Amino acid sequence: MNRLEATRALSKWFGDDAVIASLGHPAYDLFTAGDRDANFYTWGSMGLASSIGLGLAMAQPDRRVVVLDGDGSLLMNLGSLATIGWVQPKNLVLIVWDNALYGTTGGQDTATAHGADLAAAAGAMGIRAVATVRNLDELTATAARVDTEPGPWVIVAKVSENSPTSKPTLDYVLIKERFMKAMRQ
Amino acid sequence: MSSHPVWAAGVCAGLHAAGSRHVVYVPDNPLSHVLRVLREQYADVTTTIATREEEAFGIAAGLYLGGKRPTVMLQSSGLGNSINALTSLFVPYKIPALIVISMRGDEDATEWNPAQIPMGRAVAPICDAIQIPHVTLASPEAAQQTLEEIGNAAFASNQARACLLPRRITVPPK
Repeated sequence: MNRLEATRALSKWFGDDAVIASLGHPAYDLFTAGDRDANFYTWGSMGLASSIGLGLAMAQPDRRVVVLDGDGSLLMNLGSLATIGWVQPKNLVLIVWDNALYGTTGGQDTATAHGADLAAAAGAMGIRAVATVRNLDELTATAARVDTEPGPWVIVAKVSENSPTSKPTLDYVLIKERFMKAMRQ
Repeated sequence: MSSHPVWAAGVCAGLHAAGSRHVVYVPDNPLSHVLRVLREQYADVTTTIATREEEAFGIAAGLYLGGKRPTVMLQSSGLGNSINALTSLFVPYKIPALIVISMRGDEDATEWNPAQIPMGRAVAPICDAIQIPHVTLASPEAAQQTLEEIGNAAFASNQARACLLPRRITVPPK
């Protein structure tokens, strides 16, 4: 599966969830798969999508918060797994699109191409609901488990790279304001 | 509580009066006084330790998006770890936070650790360069009002704003 196919496979499952997308290709594919008010697209702050998701999950414990991260981005902020493991937000679902490369910057290898295992790292940090998925059937089956088993979840989805075809608005304040409006409902 | 430094009690009262109930931080020695006051006297304030200051700002951004008023506390050295979060998330998205920076190396003639001096000198110019309004706390007694005013202004204007706690106040000369 490529990242866009995987993102599309989750579009209906998102429901009313807050979805935070890491900058670059994960955000572009989320926008292409289906723009919605409850999507928060980051355009910078590489590595912080999981932290933003953690803060939001703490602020609104009754809302499911889904983070669409990248392997390169999570590698930049591995400490986030330790904090998530400490705080244990039951409503946080961290999905890592692991294509084993820096897709937005030209396809350089990440450490996951050479043995780094982000699911094992999550488990080692005290996150108990961890899965690695390699195809769309495994992804959707794991998403169904998320509906009934409390988090925090870390799902490492092995995906292939695809070239995104559209991008969200560059009006950051608009992204923020419509997202916050959705978070007030 | 008389056992707490006046400045630390004022910081807590000020951030609380500004409506902040979430403090995300990377600790340093003077800030431990603030954390002790929060623990003993502010049961409604949630504190969260981050592994790194940039992560603390990410968590704070999420708290704000969820309707909260976050405070981020860090040592001056940690501003260097935070700049990309501030410049590519807080400033362009207009995400506010009350930032409390415990200074080291701001009075460099008495700073025993030379590793603290370059950033101690650079905090204010860096804040200016990246559009973070800031003020240096003038006295221990001014802490409550200063923090409250900065916090209220930050959340009213959707700007991250900082209060710098000078070393001469947090660790007064003996």
